[in-house]
Amino acid sequence: MTEYEAVIGLETHIQLNTKTKIFCSCKADSWADEPNTNICPVCCGLPGVLPVLNKAVVEKAVVLANAMHSEIQPLSYFDRKNYFYPDLPKGYQISQFDQSLGKGGYLDLPIPAANSFDKKAYIRRVSIWKLHIEEDAGKTKNAGNRRFIDFNRCGVPLVEMVTGPDLRTADEAAQYLIRLRQLLRWLGISEADMEKAHLRCDANVSIRVKGETVLNPKTEIKNVNSIEAVRDAIATEIDRQVREVEAGHRIEAWTLEWDEDTGSLKKMRSKETEADYRYFREPDLLPIRMTEEWKAKILAGFPELPLQRRARFVEQYGLPEYDADILTGERRLSDYYEEAVKDYGGDPKKVSNWLMNDVLRMINEQGLNPSEMKLTPQALASLLKLVDGGTINISTGKSLLQKVQDTGRTPEAIVSEEGLGKVSDDSAIRTVCEEVLTESPNEVASYKAGKVTLIGWFVGQVMKKMRGKADAAMARSILEELLK
Amino acid sequence: MDLCDLSALELSRLLGEKKTSAVEILESSLRRIGEVDGRPGSLNAGEITPNDRSRVHAMITLTEDLALEQAREVDRKLAAGEKVGPLAGVPFTVKDIFCVKDTPSTAGSRILANFVAPYTATPVERMVAAGALMIGKVNLDEFTYGSSTESSAFQPSTRNPWDTSRVPGGSSGGSTASVAAYEVPLSLGTDTAGSIRQPAAFCGVVGVKPTYGRVSRYGLIAFASSLDCPGPVSRTVTDAASMLQVIAGPDSHDATAATTPVSDYLSNLEMGVRGMRIGLSPDYFRITFPDGQGGFKEQELPAEIEKAVRHAADVLASMGAEIVEDVPMPNTRYGIPAYFVISRVEAASNLHRYDGVKYGLRTTQNYTDLKSMYKLTRNEGFGLQPKLRILMGMYVSAAQYSEQYYKRALRVRTLIRRDFEAAFDPAGNYRLDALLTPTTPTTAFEMDAVYGDSVLMQYADQLTVPANHAGVPGISLPGGLDSAQLPIGIQLLGADYSEDKLFRVARAYEMATESEDWRKVKPKVLR
Amino acid sequence: MSEQISVEIFDHLVDLAALELNAKQADYLRRQLNNQLASVRELEAVPLDEDIPISLHGVPYEVENSSAPREDEWIPCLDSKAILAQAPQVEDQYIVVPDIPHTTLK
Ligand SMILES: [Zn+2]
Repeated sequence: MTEYEAVIGLETHIQLNTKTKIFCSCKADSWADEPNTNICPVCCGLPGVLPVLNKAVVEKAVVLANAMHSEIQPLSYFDRKNYFYPDLPKGYQISQFDQSLGKGGYLDLPIPAANSFDKKAYIRRVSIWKLHIEEDAGKTKNAGNRRFIDFNRCGVPLVEMVTGPDLRTADEAAQYLIRLRQLLRWLGISEADMEKAHLRCDANVSIRVKGETVLNPKTEIKNVNSIEAVRDAIATEIDRQVREVEAGHRIEAWTLEWDEDTGSLKKMRSKETEADYRYFREPDLLPIRMTEEWKAKILAGFPELPLQRRARFVEQYGLPEYDADILTGERRLSDYYEEAVKDYGGDPKKVSNWLMNDVLRMINEQGLNPSEMKLTPQALASLLKLVDGGTINISTGKSLLQKVQDTGRTPEAIVSEEGLGKVSDDSAIRTVCEEVLTESPNEVASYKAGKVTLIGWFVGQVMKKMRGKADAAMARSILEELLK
Repeated sequence: MDLCDLSALELSRLLGEKKTSAVEILESSLRRIGEVDGRPGSLNAGEITPNDRSRVHAMITLTEDLALEQAREVDRKLAAGEKVGPLAGVPFTVKDIFCVKDTPSTAGSRILANFVAPYTATPVERMVAAGALMIGKVNLDEFTYGSSTESSAFQPSTRNPWDTSRVPGGSSGGSTASVAAYEVPLSLGTDTAGSIRQPAAFCGVVGVKPTYGRVSRYGLIAFASSLDCPGPVSRTVTDAASMLQVIAGPDSHDATAATTPVSDYLSNLEMGVRGMRIGLSPDYFRITFPDGQGGFKEQELPAEIEKAVRHAADVLASMGAEIVEDVPMPNTRYGIPAYFVISRVEAASNLHRYDGVKYGLRTTQNYTDLKSMYKLTRNEGFGLQPKLRILMGMYVSAAQYSEQYYKRALRVRTLIRRDFEAAFDPAGNYRLDALLTPTTPTTAFEMDAVYGDSVLMQYADQLTVPANHAGVPGISLPGGLDSAQLPIGIQLLGADYSEDKLFRVARAYEMATESEDWRKVKPKVLR
Repeated sequence: MSEQISVEIFDHLVDLAALELNAKQADYLRRQLNNQLASVRELEAVPLDEDIPISLHGVPYEVENSSAPREDEWIPCLDSKAILAQAPQVEDQYIVVPDIPHTTLK
């Protein structure tokens, strides 16, 4: 049987999280607004209006271009993309065509073993073909045989980023989006919420016989608004293309729409009649002049990127990849981790364990922001030191996490006020041990008859009486001594 | 002598001396409009009557209530001893291509006939802030597409006050006619290929096309965005300078409005031309146009027009200017063909937004789907001139032709620009302060004479369009009358942002010719 | 002189432009277009050196005369109702247009 491989390229539209729209002073986010209330003459394309570029859009796009290893152009231009559609008030979209802000670029995608064919992790380099700034259109919704238009979204800033046909599986495509989403949030330039269309994805899919290098006719899948849907839609389309080719049919350059409810693809319109957008330079805007000075200012303090940090965590802290991946999933969490490690000074893996097992659960369950928690990295570090120093035992330590978070007080203060310190005074423990043995003659008899495993039970009784504060090791040795 | 016969400067003086009031000035203007303007342009005008043929018809929408409110405010301030703006109490008209809040803003087109703008254009806002009284919106070629004002959907279209059987020129024909008929001393027009200067020449008034970007385009309903320039129309050079002083300068709503500081146009206005270098170019004394057989014909300008320009040169020379002959401007002849391409590409795109969705006309015919709604609406709403520009623009910007036409035209524009750069280069061979040329190849032509022949109509702009391509400023001045007693326009062109110099030369010429006989002749509608 | 814009090309342009013309208009406009193109043909004869750049605007925009990009500051527009009031058909604050038919296949 012939073996096929898929050739996938993704076109993503990324909504930048600026305060205002790209060419007017309306606010960019109108998620909660009534239709057609966040509008002005400019974004509604009234006769006579002119666009004025928002500086923050350029700056955020430059940050993204830098992260994608894209060459930032000293001079880039806006162009008009002309077409009629009721959600496009001017009848053209202001975009960048042939001389856009970013040129080229790539993203190195680590594919985990679990998502790999042969169960071996690998790196897929995804090239970036286009990276440009443009304005969003409005929203339309069907209402019977009419369409309702809302212009609130008109003019929201987007970066369109198009990859080369470098992805080979639906899983890789999903991984690309996961990593892109992570990166956008990491850089703080987009909320990257696919459900809210902050991050949109169209997929170009074709197949070829494995080993060949030709590019066959592709289909374009639109309207996929979750990472799972992208994966499912691509997988479905690859299967369909394989079936068609096996049946001797040609693949036609269709535009397909993913119907999430039925999990099926629908044909939208034939690509053969693709419109001529008659691109030409936007005469109402001046080119973006990206001086070295401005660029340096934007990129000052450019952060270490998640994949770099992930590698460094493995290298520097000796963390397993799994830990490093989770701890670098989100920038504030990873900053938190590093600060705690620094403050703690002990085994970084131990910090990772506490963070991943307990603190992360608190963060997720309570919707906390790692950079604003009362349980600061410093507090976590001192808590760990209390455990290490034997002042408290592990279970006390774990229950302290929530207390620190709730009160904002230091672990030391809580321990001393609530008397949670471990009792390591020999005589105090000895007294309780003697009590326990006196109260349990049957168990003592069994022990002496050879059932030495009961020692754990005795220790437990001692701990119970001392409300967990006793040094368990010390209690055990006293008990063993008394039972001799 | 009525108040409306005075210049803005004179009106300001009278107001300052408390010899009149803004309301009186306004009333005088409205009276003049009542006497000479006839019925305003409208969509369903019916027959054009003989009475119509004797009137000016500059107006589309009279905004007398608004003007009265503004006039009362000026008078209140004056009475209270408060500071008023530099154009306080001066009436002006606005070409109906500018949006004015709560006012019909039609572009002379059926498709915008019912559009009431929810915002005000920057130049209009600045005029009003300076105390000027907006008295009405005046007629124009539909979307400014023309050189005669005849293509307006609002009929009767404007007629030339010097001879109402002739066109006022265009597209700012309503602006120049309203000023020439002494309805108002000032009007705000736009110039994309000569649309201020050509009708100013035809109507015997002063028309200024400032440097591109000198005046904000915000609120100007776009024709060709890389060429459009708002500018003043007036009867005197001083009034034009005062008006430009008010409307010029950067604008946070227009990224192409230059941040170059605005010169003081008034302080040195009467300093004369001694030592200035004024050029004449043979390339502006002839025109080249298609002969209809696929070739091109070169033709000398009418002798009367060339004579007027040479006379102006003599006058300036007698005042101490140095006249530089034979300045080569070899790319002048490519202005029109390059314009046919660039302006159409931009216009077609700018007209995309008129689709019956957001504002303006939506067809009342039955439509089956969105596309048929678009088509019916645009077909009903646009006249022939917009349709022609849309189709041409679509053709020459199509992906397969763009290189051949659009990109090439933009490179030819560079050549045209270089002609001017060479002429004005302070270290070059010519070192001109201004180039003196005729404004138009003819004086005002008969109504209906050229209308319909889009190519011939466009060639009326041959001497004005190069300045739009190059972005440089230009002024058209009254330069005498021809044998038919029609005004001849002379043009001064200068380097980027050199409006102050052009005003100075123009004012020197105006002063020197003050006593010439033709200056005493008034337009026929006022005789 | 051959006509550059045939009836077929013309009809295609008319459709792209979302226009619909009667026969008389179509005839006039096509003739005018061809006349204009004859004039435009003059451009083809202009000698243009390779190094002649395009000019987007006649006046060059350098750092000195170019405005800086806008700061990212929200200025609420108070006239959204006036804007909406211009629309030919509005329902529930939405602008209403007829449907856009599209083929759903399979
Ligand atoms: Zn807006």
